[in-house]
Amino acid sequence: MQKINKKQLEKILYHVEKPGRYVGGEYNMVLKNWDTHNIHITLAFPDIYDLGQANLGLSLIYEIINNQPDCLAERTFSPWHDMEKAMRDNNIPLFTLESKRAINEFDIFGITLPYESIYTNALNLLDLAQIPLRSAERGKHHPLIIAGGQACFNPEPMAPFIDAFAIGDGEELIIDIIKTWQDWKINDLSREALFTKLAQIPGIYVPSLYDAIYFEDGRLKEMRRKNKTIPQTVCKRIVSKLPKPLQKQLVPNVQIVHDRIPIEIMRGCTRGCRFCHAGFVNRPVRQRNVEEILEAIGTGIKATGYEELSLLSLSSSDHTQILETTKAVYEKYKESHLRVSLPSLRIASFSVDLMDELKELRPGGGFTIAPEAATDRMRAIINKPLDDEDLFTTVHTIFNHGWLNLKMYYMIGLPNEKMEDVEAILNTAKRVQQIGKQYHGHKVRIHVSVGTFIPKPHTPFQWFPVENPSTIQEKLDFLRDGMHRYKIKLSYNQPDSTLLESWLSRGDRRLANVIEQAWKNGAKFDAWDEGFKKECWQQAFEHENIDPFFYTFRERKTDEVFPWDHISSGVDKAYLLEDYKMSLQGETREDCRNGCFDCGILDCFALQRPKADLIYWGCP
Amino acid sequence: MNPTTPFRVRVKFAKLESLRFIGHLDLQRLFERALSRTGLPLRYSQGFSPKIRLNIASALPLGFISCSEYLDFWLNTPVPDEDIDEALKGSLPQGIKVLELYEVSNKLPSLQESVLSSQFETAIPTIYAHCRLKDKLTDLFAQESIMVYRRKKTVDIKPMIEKLKLKTQNDSSVLFIQMSSTTQMNGRPDELLVLLGIDPADVLIERTNIIFSPDFQ
Repeated sequence: MQKINKKQLEKILYHVEKPGRYVGGEYNMVLKNWDTHNIHITLAFPDIYDLGQANLGLSLIYEIINNQPDCLAERTFSPWHDMEKAMRDNNIPLFTLESKRAINEFDIFGITLPYESIYTNALNLLDLAQIPLRSAERGKHHPLIIAGGQACFNPEPMAPFIDAFAIGDGEELIIDIIKTWQDWKINDLSREALFTKLAQIPGIYVPSLYDAIYFEDGRLKEMRRKNKTIPQTVCKRIVSKLPKPLQKQLVPNVQIVHDRIPIEIMRGCTRGCRFCHAGFVNRPVRQRNVEEILEAIGTGIKATGYEELSLLSLSSSDHTQILETTKAVYEKYKESHLRVSLPSLRIASFSVDLMDELKELRPGGGFTIAPEAATDRMRAIINKPLDDEDLFTTVHTIFNHGWLNLKMYYMIGLPNEKMEDVEAILNTAKRVQQIGKQYHGHKVRIHVSVGTFIPKPHTPFQWFPVENPSTIQEKLDFLRDGMHRYKIKLSYNQPDSTLLESWLSRGDRRLANVIEQAWKNGAKFDAWDEGFKKECWQQAFEHENIDPFFYTFRERKTDEVFPWDHISSGVDKAYLLEDYKMSLQGETREDCRNGCFDCGILDCFALQRPKADLIYWGCP
Repeated sequence: MNPTTPFRVRVKFAKLESLRFIGHLDLQRLFERALSRTGLPLRYSQGFSPKIRLNIASALPLGFISCSEYLDFWLNTPVPDEDIDEALKGSLPQGIKVLELYEVSNKLPSLQESVLSSQFETAIPTIYAHCRLKDKLTDLFAQESIMVYRRKKTVDIKPMIEKLKLKTQNDSSVLFIQMSSTTQMNGRPDELLVLLGIDPADVLIERTNIIFSPDFQ
């Protein structure tokens, strides 16, 4: 087994950009004795340290594993181009930041896959670790490769590379994986035996135990399990109650994105916006109460020395105690230098009140709202109803309360979108700018950010095609010209860079060959603006003789079997279909905390719902 | 408003191990957080976004270690040195070691203003034993100027070199370099090594001392 030559490593570090990314040594890093722990796990985020270290999920899993007396977890990230070249030139395999050991020395290699454009980087990590890419090519002496994260709700495109996928909340699941591995190790059984055992853990999907069977026209016929001891459908795991927040957050020595304390105040969302993957796969809503949030903040500040924190959730204004929370935070920290940000606010004057509570704690800058669509018709389709008058009233309040910068998020390419819906985005922005000028004159800055809609698995929009790139381009051109004329800042994704997401997010197992081929062609860092190389992917599709349009521009029939149907988010497909049909009729569905629409979550997780303390769950 | 006179604390510290790969700005941030973790009554800067007031004497180039770095920070109320020492010890990451700690007068000029020169030491590995370093050094200093390329312009580093000594024993030699460390004339020993045909990545350069102006306490 290849060992890392630390002298050689230090030598190459001298010559690379930002070497601090590769050396660890952060305050609160856990460096355990290798020999006194019987299971060694590497946790990887397949992008550079600067982006990956802020990942809350990975940090939680790191802490949970290292809190087990017999377990050891270390971290690794993608090396940047210069470092990768130096590592390959010097035959230095991928190593961990803590002990600088090669990944091959570990028992489990856990990779987080939060989004699809990170897949080629994940393959690159395996390759840098000198581990065969495909599960079928690996043996007992290789680490077990596990993937988790939100993209795993459609694991199929990565199926041949990963031994087991962890679906849903990982906090309790990781312990089950560890126990299963330890039992297997003691009994010295075959790799197949481990896979079968793992597949019996609720929330674990072992793709090699399922066969994909297709119709002649290319559509999936079924995913067939290889034996009856494993589930036909793998249902995600959830935690009944949000577990303890981070106790010892690592404090990076080099600057990273989101360089602050993340406090998760709520998981899940009841709004049911039809485009929103996170909103559907993270049900049910579970929230922390005020006391828990305050305790988490206190612990975080003490453990890290950070003076900035973010209260995180998918929809902060929907937290039932949010006003009490902001008031309590303000009271407690008004004398300190703490800055608090509260993203994901609903468009209502109430949200401005919330921000007002934090007025002296706010990290400067602006106010952000996400109308997503600008006409009533479009908002009904996506199920994010909003009255224009409410919007403008909120905007008045925002400017009246002293904010100068307002950022607005919109989407284009939504189902059945017309040019007038796009024009309305410009008109709204213009009117918002006028309102701002009434209060602050030319100091007002409006920033419109436009995302391109990609239909996501497990959402009511999973049946819709992706809009044609040339139409998207037309809409973007229109917005760019219009916003420019009124000096409104516009940011958007290049239509090309969203292509990849549209191919992969609803892909099946056959796309694995394409991903591998694209990686061989040089694709990596696809999530980076300058990283996505369209030709690598086009050539890969051609090489594999697969039509990318099959995955993007094809409207799915309502009886189509999806490649992710055997993975359950707890929300029934029938419910999603009903919601899809409602969207075609322009019908909205109310926030489900006001009344249950029987999405399936409560049936699926009835036993897990805490009897007392109903406030934790958002379900009625 | 900070109506009271603050108490100025000077720390001499070592920067070692993997922290040699952490740059100057990152080191400042590291100290901000470490100080914040101590719970000491820290003085903050004035203004719209107040920051912990701290001041590091001289930027140490990336990749170097040091047993002689200096930091000033300020407290609102006096705290016994032992208590500050104790608090800092528990709050610093591995690789930063407090060597000395004492209160200094607010009247003294800032650390940066007082820095004159730095002394560095580096052991030359045996792979360079055949390089006739002594001769190379003699040749180098025979030149009227020693030009190096820095950020798109050439700079004469000869006036920055104050002392240079090569001590050889058997096969191993240690190079002592003293260079000026002011903003106008900031000497970098790694540049000198390159001119001698030594890859700075092959050696470990240590700052062993900072020489301050006489009014430094």
